Amino acid sequence: MRVAIAEDSVLLREGLASLLAEAGYEVIARCGDADQLRREMLVQVPDVSILDIRLPPTHNDEGLRAAIDIRARYPGVGVLVLSQYLEIGLAMKLLADSADGVGYLLKDRISDVPEFLAAVRRVALGGSAVDPVIVSTLLAKRRRNDPLDQLTPREREVLELMASGHSNQGIADRLVITLRAAEKYVSSIFGKLGIPSTGSESRRVLAVLLYLRS
Amino acid sequence: MTASVSAPPGAVPLGLVALGGLTAGAVSVGLAATSDHLTMPGLHAALFNWIMLSYLLCGLIAWRRRPDSRLGRLMIAAGIGASLSNLAWANNAAVESVGLAFDLLPAVLFLHVFLAFPDGRLSGRSARALVAAGYVTTVGGQLAVALLGGFGPENAFAVADRPDAGARLHDAVLATTGALALAGIAVLAAPRPGGGRPRRRAVAWLVDAFALGLLMIAVLLLMGLAGAPGFVHVQRLTLFVLGLAPIAFLLGLLDAQLARTGVGALLVRLRSEPVDLRAALARTLRDPSLSLFYWLPQYASWADEAGQPARLPDDSARAATIIDRDGEPFAALVHDASLNDERELLDGVTAAAAIALENGWLRAELHARLEEVRGSRARVLAAGQQERQRLERDLHDGAQQRLIALSLDLGRLETRLGANQEARSAVAQAKGEIAQSLNELRDVARGLHPAVLSGHGLPVALESLVALAPVPVQLTTRLDGRLDEQIEVAAYYVICESLANVGKHARASSATVDVRHGDGQLVVEVVDDGVGGADTERGSGLRGLADRVEALGGQLRVWTPRGGGTRVRAEIPCG
Repeated sequence: MRVAIAEDSVLLREGLASLLAEAGYEVIARCGDADQLRREMLVQVPDVSILDIRLPPTHNDEGLRAAIDIRARYPGVGVLVLSQYLEIGLAMKLLADSADGVGYLLKDRISDVPEFLAAVRRVALGGSAVDPVIVSTLLAKRRRNDPLDQLTPREREVLELMASGHSNQGIADRLVITLRAAEKYVSSIFGKLGIPSTGSESRRVLAVLLYLRS
Repeated sequence: MTASVSAPPGAVPLGLVALGGLTAGAVSVGLAATSDHLTMPGLHAALFNWIMLSYLLCGLIAWRRRPDSRLGRLMIAAGIGASLSNLAWANNAAVESVGLAFDLLPAVLFLHVFLAFPDGRLSGRSARALVAAGYVTTVGGQLAVALLGGFGPENAFAVADRPDAGARLHDAVLATTGALALAGIAVLAAPRPGGGRPRRRAVAWLVDAFALGLLMIAVLLLMGLAGAPGFVHVQRLTLFVLGLAPIAFLLGLLDAQLARTGVGALLVRLRSEPVDLRAALARTLRDPSLSLFYWLPQYASWADEAGQPARLPDDSARAATIIDRDGEPFAALVHDASLNDERELLDGVTAAAAIALENGWLRAELHARLEEVRGSRARVLAAGQQERQRLERDLHDGAQQRLIALSLDLGRLETRLGANQEARSAVAQAKGEIAQSLNELRDVARGLHPAVLSGHGLPVALESLVALAPVPVQLTTRLDGRLDEQIEVAAYYVICESLANVGKHARASSATVDVRHGDGQLVVEVVDDGVGGADTERGSGLRGLADRVEALGGQLRVWTPRGGGTRVRAEIPCG
């Protein structure tokens, strides 16, 4: 699989490129800013682009704009955005109307190599990766008459993994349960929260996040 | 005023004027009484003397009150000069002929007086041209008519016997003089440079009276030209009206006199209560357009009453009276230029208002200083904000990036360690330490400056804030587009601090955050349903928030009745 990187810190950019190369990715572009990434993508389209949310020249919104831009122009390319701070508002802006092939992770996640590579792979294949901190913050958000109170602790765990972008199989693997059991938890959660269950796994990420956000 | 101050008329000029007036009056009465061709001689003599006395007396009063102005002397000259036309009443052919030659002179004398108002000089090329053309047409034209043998058989000046040509020339002279009178009205009514109709009432009346006089002259001359019936009546009415014009002038003087008595009233009013100084001065000077300025030496600038820098108007219809203190300019009254003719009144008013002007100056200066302090406070805040933003950037690009790169390296190392449990746990511990440091740095950086705000604006930045709030928060934002960064940061901190207070002190079950932009201001409101009674001075950080908001020209208010919840409301002006 091919990957393009846009990150202004050389140290991090090279570290990331080595990590991905070691994992068998073909790193086709190592860019210092968003414009360079756009130019590289005109030449060669990767399966997934990884970019820093704060990029030169102003370090304001260049990264996010480039990510949204790439999603619109290359629907088949996964976009994984890395950030030093997590903002729910930014996650929702990035996901906007679909979680297909989108990821938003805290930069620190890079250090958990297997987990990070799994996330890159999910996004490259059209799935989602939402940082657990975003999900846990949304889950912890205070609500009046919180419907989440009806969930069992196990169901909360499943909901958290589901919102982060894990598939039913992924959930089953992590919780060391059968696929069928995972599916049962999922449909029970949808029932309790009144979320219409939708087919695709990335679509349900968005549905759950929107539910938690409101 | 730089014109040299002339003395009022002394005894000799007064005597001469009196003698001239008496002689002209006596001669007119004598001529009228003995005239063998004058109908209603009594009425004619009375009308003439009415006009002459009116010009003479008003001229003397004007001369006395305004020795600087030549208008008074011009009026006296016009009054006496007009008597030359009375010689036409004489029975002696030669004297009558001289009178006929000057028959139309009074019309031009009045035109001259009217156009020379207020300083006795003809200002402007058109006024000078009109008056010169008037003298040439009336005196020259009438003489030419006489030379041609006009004015009947007894004309002593006839050198040719062409009465027809004389009559035609006479018609032309009448028409031209009438046209000049009409043109005079146009000059009077023409917009003054830089201003319209005079803004002071007394002057406006006077101009109307002059215009009416000129109009009557024009009508009379044209009626004479057409041989219209009723000429005699219009002639009498015209003479009467012409005598009224100086009376209007006198009324203007009287108005100024009344204004001067108003100085006393001004003094009383200024002493009794705090008043709007400008309005009081405008009333006393009878000039509603009056404005007031103060000289602030430390800014080397004029300022208006609110201390805002201002320039004195550069406009010929306006005049500035500069009031000095210790030889330095101190205040300025900017008023209609016509007030310059009433120097005494202006001096009286400025003297009466001296203390009030002093107070006004102090107020203006205070406002200017406050403005300056507000400006420097905003600059200090902006500089602090910039510095914090720079520190946050340094942390982000420096320490934080390095730590992340380091933990990435450790992660890669970890994958190569295989089953070496000891090494693995050492690496895991190091990674944990780094993660902890990163968390702490993140908190520090966020406290310095919420980076998401610069990049993405208030609504995006508020979302995490609200999600992390200790109670359910209903967030409403009504903003169209981005605001000035300083304003966004202030609003962010107001909400951040208020929500933190809700968690710490309010014992609330829910809160609302409302952010809206409208009517040139950003309004931020955080309301909770807690116990209220918050200490707004200590520990709550509200004082710091108020400083931040006030430095931007805004206002922070807190309502926190015991048992009634807490409402924090910030209003920050923005374009």
